[in-house]
Amino acid sequence: MLERESVLAVSRAARDAGVHAGMRRAGALTLAPHVTLVERDELREAAVLQALGMALLRFSPQVTLASEATVLMDIGASLRLFGGIRALRRHVIDTVKVLALTGRVALSPTGTGAWLLARRAQIALSEASLRRKITPLPVALLPQARPAATWLAGVGCHTLGAVLRLPRAGLSRRADPGLLLALDRAVGAVPEGFAWLIPPPTFDARQELPDRTDRADLIACYAQALVVQLTGWLAAGFRAITALTILLEHERGRDAVAPTEIKVMFAEPANETIRIQRLIKERIERTELPAPAIVLRLRVDDVRAAEQLSDSLFPEPGGTPADHARLIELLAARLGEERLRRPAPIADHRPEVANRWVPYHRRGTIAPAKHLRRPLWLLDKPIELKTRNHRPFYGSALRLASAPERIEAGWWSEPFAARDYFVAQGADHRCYWIYRERGSLYDDTDPRWFLHGLFG
Amino acid sequence: MILYIHTALLPSAPIIMIVAPESIHPALWRASSLGRGATRCLASGHAHLDTELPGGGWPVGTLVDLLTPHAGVGEVRLLQPALTSLGARPIFFVSPPHSPSMQALANWGVPTGGLHLVEPQTLADALWSTEQILRAGIAGAVLFWQPQVRSEALRRLHLAAQTSETAFFMIRPLNAANLASPSPLRLRLEPAPDGVSVFFLKRRGPARDEPLFVPLYPSPFASKRHAPVDRRTSPLPLPRSVSADLDA
Repeated sequence: MLERESVLAVSRAARDAGVHAGMRRAGALTLAPHVTLVERDELREAAVLQALGMALLRFSPQVTLASEATVLMDIGASLRLFGGIRALRRHVIDTVKVLALTGRVALSPTGTGAWLLARRAQIALSEASLRRKITPLPVALLPQARPAATWLAGVGCHTLGAVLRLPRAGLSRRADPGLLLALDRAVGAVPEGFAWLIPPPTFDARQELPDRTDRADLIACYAQALVVQLTGWLAAGFRAITALTILLEHERGRDAVAPTEIKVMFAEPANETIRIQRLIKERIERTELPAPAIVLRLRVDDVRAAEQLSDSLFPEPGGTPADHARLIELLAARLGEERLRRPAPIADHRPEVANRWVPYHRRGTIAPAKHLRRPLWLLDKPIELKTRNHRPFYGSALRLASAPERIEAGWWSEPFAARDYFVAQGADHRCYWIYRERGSLYDDTDPRWFLHGLFG
Repeated sequence: MILYIHTALLPSAPIIMIVAPESIHPALWRASSLGRGATRCLASGHAHLDTELPGGGWPVGTLVDLLTPHAGVGEVRLLQPALTSLGARPIFFVSPPHSPSMQALANWGVPTGGLHLVEPQTLADALWSTEQILRAGIAGAVLFWQPQVRSEALRRLHLAAQTSETAFFMIRPLNAANLASPSPLRLRLEPAPDGVSVFFLKRRGPARDEPLFVPLYPSPFASKRHAPVDRRTSPLPLPRSVSADLDA
């Protein structure tokens, strides 16, 4: 990576080839001609830092973007909720990884102290250990000390510990007063104030894909980086999402293709990363892309206030309504809305009309009639039965074992039914629900028999 | 200091103490009697069937294999008392062979509010949905129809079932009887007049060769509200003789 024609950062492979920070562009190219040179893009860096800040809002409302690619977060009030300091640190490291970033995590009782320790990824949990760990750090680490670094080195102060031991009055006179203030803040002698990150009122984030791709699993993987930002944004405002849109932008320019829009609706307001991610993944996998995608965008369409769940002391077996909604949502996302159905009977005499199953999200139901003796399995299309000796035949000759039930309905619409239903029994004792179609009075053809149900 | 004084009478002839295997570990049972495992059971509602099932009912959180020659032998009516006893807990029908009639289920007393019909298009989707339903742990019962399932998939479903409190039944055709299954309870059902004959292919207990007749209600024939009296239900299980060296 280059900044003003000199090398700023190098990858491991480049370092092995002999390139190091501070080299000129020409020098790097001479040593390793195949090296890829990238200009530093401060705007993109700021955007990445902003994304990380948003994602970290999930763990604490007090997140601030500090100088030199550092994010500071006050976790004092979040420790119990996330299961202690170790668990929280692991959560933060995971979040950083999901965003495809590398980072060092430091913990300290003061914000400035944490900023300093982050350069070395150290942990200090008490003020005494913080002071001990700051002492050996080089002077140049603190930005406020850099202008004075030369004369500090001249008086033999190479570490921050040595600066702390200098007479305060003389130091404040000779150096920038900010230096003393920063040091006092770092060790906790002076309180700190930060401008905390304020989440924007709407959420619309984009993620560039590394290359043109139409592989759903890859796109879903990159969507994860957007989802962690989304959950941070939701947590900061105590919100839960009910609808979002995924936009997959394709090639621009001459062969421009309109972006693919995937709308994701949630049965129940959601604010957990895993649930949102799972649903988005299922939806992306089910979508056919017209062209490879280059940019992934996630836009929130509808939110509402999150319901705060309280843990119950004795959880009920069988899960909560939220668990149920989550399962329904997941099944509907993969199988399709119309493949997951619930009973919604219609008051009609025709059994195939009365037995109506509707997609699960459709509301409104009446209880089915309870007095009817119906077979469990209704064939979608009745099977016409052969007759032998004027008796219906299905595998074996069927014996009619019940009185007929006459159903005549539906003259106003299709299908018209004029049927006499019987329970018939075969030689193997299986029971069948069959009907005889009634023709007109003057029709003297043989009656036709149909199999309509099985007693399961 | 002597804390415990343990005395043992040593008679001249050695006495072999017979320890109940359940006292060693709840998962152990004697080959001649039915296993009373630690698994929770759901009463099947058929008294004679309960005495033949290990644990005294349909095991919960276990894959139960029901093998039928074809749909419509009374396979769901056999489960009806158990389904009714679940109350409002959800019941899932995954890829049933035909459209289930909600009027029939309402007639049996199964609450229709908790019925879910899942009709996946492919085998992979069907296995996935069943696994998700079992893992969610909210379902009271899952009935899964699938003619051809590989034994790895069965094992996976069995493991998923073990994480939940769900009664999980797989209804499969007869030819599946020859294939291996991780299920600890496998029954074959054959139609019989006014009921169903249950053959025990595999259970935690003694093998039973003759079928058990289970009368089914409601009978398809209207106005027949009493159990048939011309049929003997099968006797209680007798301990099978086990060879002397095993018993010793």
